[in-house]
Parts: sequence; structure tokens; C-alpha cells
Amino acid sequence: MNRIICAVILAAALTACAEAQAQTSTNPRTEGDAKAGERLFMTDGCSECHGTVGQGGGVNGPRIAPMELNYDAFKQELRTPLSEMPPFEEAVVPETDASDIYAYLKSIPASRPFKDIPLLND
Amino acid sequence: MAKYIESSSGSDFMVDALKSVGFDYIAATPGSSFRALQESFVNYGNNTKPEWLTTTHEENSIAMSQGYAKVEGKPILNLVHASVGLQHASMALYNAYADRVPIFVVTANITDGVLRRPGIETDHTAQDSAVITRDFTKWDDSPGSLQHFAESTVRGYRIAMTPPMGPVVLVADSAIQEEPMLDRASLMIPKLSNFSPAQGDSGAVAELARRLVEAESPVILADRGIPGPNGVFLHLIELAELLQCPVIDMGGRLNFPNRHPLNQSLNRASVISQADFLLGLDMTDFWGATHAYHDQIHRTSHSLLKPGAKTASITSTDQFIKANYQNFQRYLDVDIEISGDAAATLPSLIEAVKRVIDPRYKSSFEARGKKLATAHQASIDRIKTAATAGWDVTPISTARMCMEIWNQIKDEDYSLLTGNPFFSGPWAHTLWNMDKPYRFLGDQGAFGMGYTTPAAVGAALANRKYGRLSVAITGDGDFMVSPGSLWTAAKHKIPLLLIVHNNRSYFQELMHVQTMASRHVRNIHTARIGTELSDPSIDFAKLAQSMDVHGEGPITDPADLGPALQRAIAVVKKGAPALVDIIAQGR
Repeated sequence: MNRIICAVILAAALTACAEAQAQTSTNPRTEGDAKAGERLFMTDGCSECHGTVGQGGGVNGPRIAPMELNYDAFKQELRTPLSEMPPFEEAVVPETDASDIYAYLKSIPASRPFKDIPLLND
Repeated sequence: MAKYIESSSGSDFMVDALKSVGFDYIAATPGSSFRALQESFVNYGNNTKPEWLTTTHEENSIAMSQGYAKVEGKPILNLVHASVGLQHASMALYNAYADRVPIFVVTANITDGVLRRPGIETDHTAQDSAVITRDFTKWDDSPGSLQHFAESTVRGYRIAMTPPMGPVVLVADSAIQEEPMLDRASLMIPKLSNFSPAQGDSGAVAELARRLVEAESPVILADRGIPGPNGVFLHLIELAELLQCPVIDMGGRLNFPNRHPLNQSLNRASVISQADFLLGLDMTDFWGATHAYHDQIHRTSHSLLKPGAKTASITSTDQFIKANYQNFQRYLDVDIEISGDAAATLPSLIEAVKRVIDPRYKSSFEARGKKLATAHQASIDRIKTAATAGWDVTPISTARMCMEIWNQIKDEDYSLLTGNPFFSGPWAHTLWNMDKPYRFLGDQGAFGMGYTTPAAVGAALANRKYGRLSVAITGDGDFMVSPGSLWTAAKHKIPLLLIVHNNRSYFQELMHVQTMASRHVRNIHTARIGTELSDPSIDFAKLAQSMDVHGEGPITDPADLGPALQRAIAVVKKGAPALVDIIAQGR
């Protein structure tokens, strides 16, 4: 259980970081292909740890959707992660693929508040 | 002149000795090396107390006993075949050893080479048969006589049941089993007297009480004490409420109610980093709990403790430790080390705390408690918000999976067993109402594969007499190691709701290989080679049905989960096992 809790804490920390960076974003990038990005997200080693809609994967990867980082911060975390995520170099995830994956994560809508889901209110 | 019949043999006396310590069940895969013992149990012993349960692998037998002990607090008897049976049992014994759970194994051997049947019986004989498990058992013995066997039975049971609890192995020589019993009247079975676990030193306990009361930000961590109903659970509630201090449940057992406002398990890092005094109860990895570790190319770690923070520990583990396997983890430089069982020591610690507390602490304790209650509620809201993500997606999210299960069992007296609690997310442990020690039964101990299903069958066996609804969540990979244990549940009418969290892979290993590929800037897609459990996909419902177990699935649509679970639970309530196969997110 301690490892679960570590991940939850990590996820919370990254979310806080994302919020801070979102506020200072000067270079938002949105021209990627979200559909192509979804396919890449499933095949390039993203969805295993972060879940197929970026919902987070417990101990393995934090929630990353809706994506709140600006593109530069996203790419920095992708190439030189501060977390335990392995680095995804240009040779593994080229610039265009990174852009498409980013577009996919930006396209994922926010989930409903938990108060609107009966099973989360027992 | 050859003798063809005998009225009784040594195995009858061995049954008397084994019955004397109070086993309710035997879990065994048959083996000719204990043919005499088996026949004596079912005929001479009337197959009652203990009752024979047929397993399909010795590893399943041991895991069943581990699960049973985690509910009932005592083992069932495991008989395992000479040499090859003990080899099969060995990994499960290591799990139980690391989990501090009592296991009692009887295996066989034929010491006298002249008596061995040629061929197989010699293959199944060893000079020192228990040596292969000696690194992770508390004790073993190879009695040379029936009297010796009786004494070692009682001694072994006491050793297994003394904290830190663990496995023992007794070798019943096959020749002694089968030789005529010439003088029963001269044999004596020692009584199993009452015995108490060691308590911490009273002076050290008094000092600990003073430090706890005087600390500004104390925190209590609890992990893996004695299993079953006599653990720390109730005492820890009383102690935490006296001090109004946070408790972090490390999850080796259910040590503290998850909805209690003082439960700060979800705020672990922040609570630990702000604490000025930390008390660990039965910690198996106190160092790991107080440090952050980074699994990167250059592996690094740092302490979470703030400068000047002091630590204390109550554990019986230091009274018994072995060298080879490293499950004793890294060493933490503890300030107050109290050697004793935590559950046995807490009552005296509580009394000592009561003696130290005076009215001047009242307002500060109340304020601390209110602050912690607010933090607890905030952490629950955060985890609920996290659970909403991907609520309606396919594959089904682990949050949706767990909460659909909860929706069906929330009004039941349930008991949950999982193999790897974190593999299906934090949802059950944080959002289900866990208010009794048997609500959650911890993990495998040493993370050995194949534990979950047989351990769940053992736990369900123990829960059966209390009328509890036993629920287990297993991964598909873990299930495929030991599916035969489901047949044992069907054969012996053990009610169990078994959920297969099916991500069609050895998912943890898939992620590890992806990480290595990423580090090496190489092809990530090939990480699925050797880690996938698809092409062909396994139909777990059909596998269950082949053993006359109700099978549902594969369930792919979250909307179908509720009805499938209802049908399965209806079967379980009639006293049989049922399996629900859920195609879910990897984590």
C-alpha cells in the first residue's frame, strides 16, 4: 500500500507543477494531430503507465490528462524527466510524434466531478 | 515368515500427535512418501479435525495455509511429498516467511537406504531434505523415532506461532510411518500449553510513552504484525485516539480503519517529513518507509525525515533473522529499539501514555486531531477525483472496476484478499470501508507469483464459518501460475468471488522492459515480446467452467460489470466459488 500512496503523492506533485507551468506558458502548441497522437500514445509506451486516456496508472505513472503543461514543459518532461519516467529521446519519439501525443492529451476532456458519480459517494 | 497385515503403524501415532495441536484442515497434493500418514488421517483419524483438502500443487497448499492463517491466526497442516513436493512448496514458503505467517509443513524421507524401493523412492530421498527451505523457515527437524516426532510436533507448532511467526518443516520418515507401532503405551504426546508473545521492556515502554506525548508532531506507522484477529488493530485505534496522532498503515495487514480521521496513509510523505517523532510497529522496511528512492540509471535516495526527528520501533523481527535472503531490507538507525511483539506491547504502552498525559496537553491534542481530520477528508476527496478519470473508458479503469465491486458488496460482511495490492490501484484500500482487521489481508510477503488464488481459497475457507463474503482480486499472470486452486475451492465448496484483473500481460514486467528500451534509446514495441498474455487470449470464464466453477466474462463494457458481479455473488452466497474476468486497464 505504501507504494500506491507514493504514486498518489507523485501524481499530486506533478499536477501542482503542471498548474504552475500552465500559468506561465508562453508557447502553447496545438498543431499536432490528436488522432495520430492517440494511436502513438497506445503504441509508444505511454498508455501502459499513464492509462489509455492519461488517467494515471497507480504506482507507475501519474495522471496527465487533461494536459495542463505547455508544450515546452511537456517536451522537457518527455526528454529529460524529473520524475522516474524513462527519457523518451528524439530517436524513440520524434518531434512530430511528440506534438501529436501532446495534441491527443490536450484533446481529452476533463472528467466529471466525483460528486456526480454515485459509485464514488458511498 | 513375512507379515502381511498390522493393526496399527507409526503413522497412527503421528496423526495423534498432529491432532493434538488443533489443526482444522490439511491441504495436500498426494505423495506416496506419506501414503501411511494419509491413510491414517482418513481412516484412523476419521478425516475430521483435520479434514483433508485436495490441492493440485504443493505451492497452492502452502499459499492456502498462508491465506487461512491471515484470517484465523493459525495454520492448517500442509503435507508435501518427499523432496520434489518440498521443492514445489519452496517459493510459497518464502512468501509466508517474508509475510511473518505461521506455516506447518510435514514432508517425508526414507533415511535408511536399505529400506528404499529402487527407483522413484530413492529419487525422492535426500540426505538432508529440509535444507532447501532452511534459509526461509524458522525451524526444521527430522525425528528419528515416534517419541521424537511427537515432541517436535508440539515444539514446531509453538515455534511457528511465536512472533515473528513463520514456517516450520517436520520430516516424517516414511519407514517410521509404516513400521508397526509396538508399544503405544510408552509413547507420550506433550501438551500444547498456553504461550504468550514477548512484550517490550517496561522501562523502554515508559520512555517511549513520554516521547510520544511530548512530541509536537508524532506519527505511528504499522506494517506486518501477527496475522488474524489478535493484531494491533484495536489497540492502535485506542493509542492513536489518546494521542490524536496520525497513523500510516503500510499495508502488510489492515492495521487501522481506512476511514478513521487519524488515518493519514494517503498523506504519507508530508506527514513523515513533518514529524518530529516516528514510531514503527512491526515494520518490515522502516528505511524504505522513511526514504524516497529513485529508480533511474543512477539509483539515488534521500531521507524524508526532517533534521532532528527521532525514531522508535517495536518489533519481534530482530529476535529472529536469517542471513541469506535479504528481505530484512536496509538498516534504519532507530533511536529507541524495543524488542517485542507490537500487539502484545501496545496495551502496556497505552497505559504508560495514560499515565504521562495530563490536562495541559488537552487543547493541543484536540487541535492536532481536528487538523488531521481535515487532512484526511481532503485526501479522500483527492483520491475520489483521481478515480473519475477514465470512468467510462474501455478497457475498464481499475477505479471503475473496484468501485463496481464495492457497489455490490458494501452491505456484506466482506473480506478482501489481493496479491499485489497496488496492481489494481489504490481504490479498494482507500474508498471501500475497511473497519475490521479481516477486511483486507495484506500482500504475498515476498511478491512471489501464484499466491493470490490459492491464498484467497485458504482465506475463504477460514471466512466460511463466519459467513463472510470472501472477495479476491488477482492479476491474469498471477492466476495462470496456480489456476488449479480454483478446483480445490469447487471440490470442497469454498465460497469465493474471484475477480481476474485481466490486462492480458505480465504488465509490471512489460513496463520494466519498456523502461530499459527507453533508456537504451531502442525499440519500445518489442517490450511486448515475452510479456504479453494474448494471441491467443485466455478465456478465464471457460477455464473456471471447466472446473465446475461459475465463470463470467470477459467483461469489456463497464456497464456490464454490475449485472455480472450480481450473478457471481448469487452463486457465492450459495456456497460455491465464482470467477469474473474483467478486461481492465493495466493499472
